[in-house]
Amino acid sequence: MRNWTRRHVLSAGAIAGAGLALGIRPLAAQVADEIVLGGSIPLTGVFAFAGIGIHAGIQDYLKIVNDAGGVEGRKVKYVAEDTGYKVDASVAAFNKITSQEKVSLYYGDSTGFSKTINPELERRGSILMAGASFASELNDPKKYPLQFMAGPDYSEMFGILLRYIANEKAGARLAFVYSDTEFGRDPIVPSEALAKTLGLEVVEKIVTPPGSVDVSTEVLKLRRARPDFTIFHGYVLAPIPEFIAQAKQMGLASRFMGTFWSMDNSTVERMGEAADGFMGVMPYRYYYDTEGESPMLEKIRQMRPEYQSTAYLQGFVTALLMCEAAKRTLAAGKELTGANLKAGLNSIKDFDTGGLFGVPISIPGNSVPIGRIYAFDGKAKQMKPASDWIRLEA
Amino acid sequence: MTDWLFLTEVFLAGLGSGALYAVTGVAFVLIYKATRVVNLAIGEILMLGGYAFFGAAAGWHLPAWVALPVAILAGALVGAVVERGLIRPMIGESPISVFMVTIGLGSILAGFVQIVWGADPLRLPEFLPSAPIFIGEAYVAPKVAYGFLAAMVVVTAFVLGLRFSRGGVALKATAADQAAAYSVGIDVPRVFSLSWIVACGVAAGAGVLVGAIGGISPTMGVFGLSVLVVVIVGGLDSMAGALVGGLFIGVVEAFAGTFLGGEYRFLVTFSILILILMIRPYGLFGTHEIERL
Repeated sequence: MRNWTRRHVLSAGAIAGAGLALGIRPLAAQVADEIVLGGSIPLTGVFAFAGIGIHAGIQDYLKIVNDAGGVEGRKVKYVAEDTGYKVDASVAAFNKITSQEKVSLYYGDSTGFSKTINPELERRGSILMAGASFASELNDPKKYPLQFMAGPDYSEMFGILLRYIANEKAGARLAFVYSDTEFGRDPIVPSEALAKTLGLEVVEKIVTPPGSVDVSTEVLKLRRARPDFTIFHGYVLAPIPEFIAQAKQMGLASRFMGTFWSMDNSTVERMGEAADGFMGVMPYRYYYDTEGESPMLEKIRQMRPEYQSTAYLQGFVTALLMCEAAKRTLAAGKELTGANLKAGLNSIKDFDTGGLFGVPISIPGNSVPIGRIYAFDGKAKQMKPASDWIRLEA
Repeated sequence: MTDWLFLTEVFLAGLGSGALYAVTGVAFVLIYKATRVVNLAIGEILMLGGYAFFGAAAGWHLPAWVALPVAILAGALVGAVVERGLIRPMIGESPISVFMVTIGLGSILAGFVQIVWGADPLRLPEFLPSAPIFIGEAYVAPKVAYGFLAAMVVVTAFVLGLRFSRGGVALKATAADQAAAYSVGIDVPRVFSLSWIVACGVAAGAGVLVGAIGGISPTMGVFGLSVLVVVIVGGLDSMAGALVGGLFIGVVEAFAGTFLGGEYRFLVTFSILILILMIRPYGLFGTHEIERL
């Protein structure tokens, strides 16, 4: 028999204490049948304006699902970490969350993160991921088999805009104004080619360095090019309003357009006078849209009586599509693996999202290539539909 | 010839953005000259000025001519508190430590602004006249033109003030030799305090101009980094350097952006920075003994 001295007792106690401190818990801590949705969410940093909305949107949708009994009877648990919109912090959050929980669904915050984590997703094979990025590169089921995006990719957004323009004015002159970032450059090359096939002419491409304040020289270039339509991409608000204000002062008759992340109603409203007539592409209906049947928007309006941003809707729709994929997987009696979840997602065909997308959607690949052109009505202070829903062929 | 007109317009636009660099550069120079601290939080104090103006003009509905002094005072107050609370206890510590304190201060201010006003990018209420300005036939964006005028007034006032006012002379004396300044009765700690107060007030005022053009967001502090380039080129301890450096970089960026494309703007700016550091490590107008971090 071993003689227990005070030193032994103390060291045994220290080891036990260290074990507790390191979080060694009974294995049954996680409720066995919970589905976990993890998230690298940018609640601070340059993308925080969207991250906060996304966070609320995911939580609200999961509340609706869980209050109704969960996905096939299984509750969905949301575990999120703030990333500051930094790829290393997102990866750290992913590692932390996946080591503590059995994660089946994951929300990533950036293109950089989606690309970085992809090999790890494939290695694990247990997670279906979507996120805030609509990067064209991610819209490739061969290279990114376990990811998707809850809307059209950036090139598809341009595709929707260009089709609208080609309908409005054949042979129109276009200018692309974009930020010198991965986000900004994403759709430019393919969209130039598409413009050509649609008989449109890209007369100027203007790149602005990220964070640049004064855009007067760029506006001078724009005036020289005299485009009929100017498409901004890679921005949220600045420098779009100053661009439009100066261009209008110079008497430039161009119409100005944006893509998803610059289409939030309250953001466009902040453009002041420049907002009037600003157009762009949106895959979802706006919070205040009461046209036709939209039970999901009704629910959102009941839960949150004040306006909710497009970022909120993006988070909400992403969570909805993830849960739908999980539901289809479980209903088919399959295990929640990444491949099964993705197959479940891809089985979505002519699916009604409760009016969030204006038309029934199908997800044959990694994106939902649907959108509608909205234009800002200065009197109503709202983005109003300027076209029908435009669906791109897969 | 239209091309000459276009070149003139690009040049004027460059002067406009350069003036914003120059006025923010003044804030860097003032603090560096008096206290030998490179204050990396200037960008965030500039941001705070923009938000203070927004709070006063949009939140309290004050007219712009009241909101502007409120913003400047808010900046000055932050300058006073920071100098007294954070910087003075660091006297005698290594320059790197003080430098790191200002970086930390920048993050705290960005976080504070996000807590109070949220993370959304915002626009300042319009307060500058919006009628287009033409110099001859050349168009100048009105905000840029008024920003230029305001910046020129401020920078000229500082260049003259440093040379002729009592406070300016005391600051120059402190910059030249602190012990000698003490011995002739200059209150050196007060000079330190005042330089922080005035510099942060100027930065906050610059924030209102920058915000009027580009809008405000918790991340607009990065503007301070572009200005750091300007003051290094001009000379960290030279007011005239901030002015010339600011205008020079503004014009160079405008031409680079126009003829090479926006993606080359920073490339050109930083190439100039490297070149200047190789030829004149103390900047175009700076004094030789500057210790660089």
